[in-house]
Amino acid sequence: MSEAAIQAGCRFFAGYPITPQNEVPEYMSRRMPEVGGVFVQAESELAAISMIFGASATGTRCMTSSSSPGISLKQEGISYIAAGELPCVIANMQRGGPGLGNIRASQADYYQAVKGGGHGDYRLIVLAPATLPELYKLTQNAFDYADYYRIPVMILGDGILAQMAEPVELTPYKPILKIPKKDYILDGCQGREPRVIKTLMLNPTDALVTHNINMQKKHEKITADLQLVENYMTEDAEVVIAAYGMTARVAKGAIQIARDKGLKVGLIRPITVWPFPDKAMMEVAKTVRKFLVVEMSNGQFIDDVKLAIQCSKPVEFQGIGGGWYPSVEGILEKIEEIYK
Amino acid sequence: MPKLQDLAKKDSAFSSGHRMCAGCPVPIFTKMLTRVTDYDIVVGSATGCLEVASSIFPYSAWKVPWIHTAFENCSAMMSGVEAFDKVRRKKNNTEKKIKCVATGGDGGTYDIGIQSLSAAMERGHDLLYICYDNGAYMNTGIQRSGATPLGAATTTTPAGSVIGGKQQQRKDLTRIMIAHHIPYVAQASIHNPVDLSDKIKKGLEVDGPAFINILCPCIPGWRIAPDMAVESARQGVDTCYWPLYEVEQQKFKINYMPKEKLPVKDWLFTQGRFRHLKDDKWSQILVDFQARVDEQWDWLLARHAESE
Repeated sequence: MSEAAIQAGCRFFAGYPITPQNEVPEYMSRRMPEVGGVFVQAESELAAISMIFGASATGTRCMTSSSSPGISLKQEGISYIAAGELPCVIANMQRGGPGLGNIRASQADYYQAVKGGGHGDYRLIVLAPATLPELYKLTQNAFDYADYYRIPVMILGDGILAQMAEPVELTPYKPILKIPKKDYILDGCQGREPRVIKTLMLNPTDALVTHNINMQKKHEKITADLQLVENYMTEDAEVVIAAYGMTARVAKGAIQIARDKGLKVGLIRPITVWPFPDKAMMEVAKTVRKFLVVEMSNGQFIDDVKLAIQCSKPVEFQGIGGGWYPSVEGILEKIEEIYK
Repeated sequence: MPKLQDLAKKDSAFSSGHRMCAGCPVPIFTKMLTRVTDYDIVVGSATGCLEVASSIFPYSAWKVPWIHTAFENCSAMMSGVEAFDKVRRKKNNTEKKIKCVATGGDGGTYDIGIQSLSAAMERGHDLLYICYDNGAYMNTGIQRSGATPLGAATTTTPAGSVIGGKQQQRKDLTRIMIAHHIPYVAQASIHNPVDLSDKIKKGLEVDGPAFINILCPCIPGWRIAPDMAVESARQGVDTCYWPLYEVEQQKFKINYMPKEKLPVKDWLFTQGRFRHLKDDKWSQILVDFQARVDEQWDWLLARHAESE
């Protein structure tokens, strides 16, 4: 992920120590000076995200990473960055919570990531990779989405993804979007009017309302443009598992065994969890009998599945928060129980 | 002050069987907390080595009431406990205090926790804050902190061919705490139990806020042998990198005068984190390092002389 960011032109990284994502800042501390970029280890998570606000305001591609308790500390800054419509990439390698929790993988920050997290009416584009090659690709794309829409993009991974090893081809960065000229950045105003980046808009009937309307229009455009999803054996499936990230990988193992046993099971895996792939979900709901949601949290992701299919089919659930991992056997057992 | 032999007979606040690294000197001070005083105590810890390794569920190494919340707010949390004790005494019509102790590593004290520490001291809570300074975020895998010395190699300030470890000098937190004009501020080292236990006793029993900064060598972080923590701390003090002194009501007292002030490189070269500095190309780092140590020591000698 760190190398993908470097390849995509990220030249500013600010971070703070927290397990299980320390390898990201550690890599950046070595690599950034080699490419003429800047690595800063901040004195706190709030300082790190605020440095991102500053770096993004200069037009620099920038990134920070953390894990659940650290992401909670960053929420103030994330809300301000969203309000300032500044592009950046934020990685959250989730661990068990609430509180300091533990350092096992988790998906319990789902609500925080996709429903806002900080105060105010804002959204992040949230990408949920399941493999390291996908993490590499999505990290590069994340910088394009961020610049194109002027929005913070979150990469929502987990402790397993952060700590595992897997072969990855380090392909050069290719832009997937035509980035408009950054005409909002603070890069010296000689010869033109000075620009202002701020998030305080005191006039209640004009400035802030207009700003919110514009942001909501942007959110609508992103929802229409960007719904990434993987369908796996869903064409003839009677039961479809809905899962994202690492959980979906475990589910695939269970599905293969279920298929060998003659059970028609498939998987739908959102790659963007905001915007949520409503259309693809609804399409699957037309033909399937039941859904099974598997998540490493106690029923957060399931809400979006039910909303997406407008509760048109029964949705079964398997999930616990706090660092519980799904097993192939456990999912298979659940499939057999609900398949009848 | 009581003798060490007598102290050792008293119950320790901290049990054996904790999960600190082999050779870690941090438990030396935690064991003293109940031995030096007759007060009942409550201990709060910021996130860090001590917190994690003393409290892995379902076990606890603490034999006194102990509380942990997050990384940045230990002093705020203990301010709440201390404020409760005021109310408790009033309600129960008693004068007998419960003494509050907050502990944090250098990450949780110099960096993310300095705001809540400073405010607790300024508000004047009857609270002893003990920082065990091992010079980096050791618990998460040796990342640099505001306490990491110049030139030290950490995982976020790696020593390479162009950059020779950490590029900044450490901040002098003890001096920042002196500037709070609180009743008691001290700098101590884990290698000197007589001086350390005296200071913990004073800090605990003084009426009002107190701060003690303890030098605690880290076996994996400093890259020293597991039996070298105490010796390394002693060398740090003998080079005057870490003077032992205390400040009571703005009166300075140096508690230990080295017979011979050793050059700081003699100490640095015993640690793997400074190994790269043996290369002549980093000689300026050694010059700058020594210059800061000299400047701090001279400043302290002058304050000590003024106070006599």
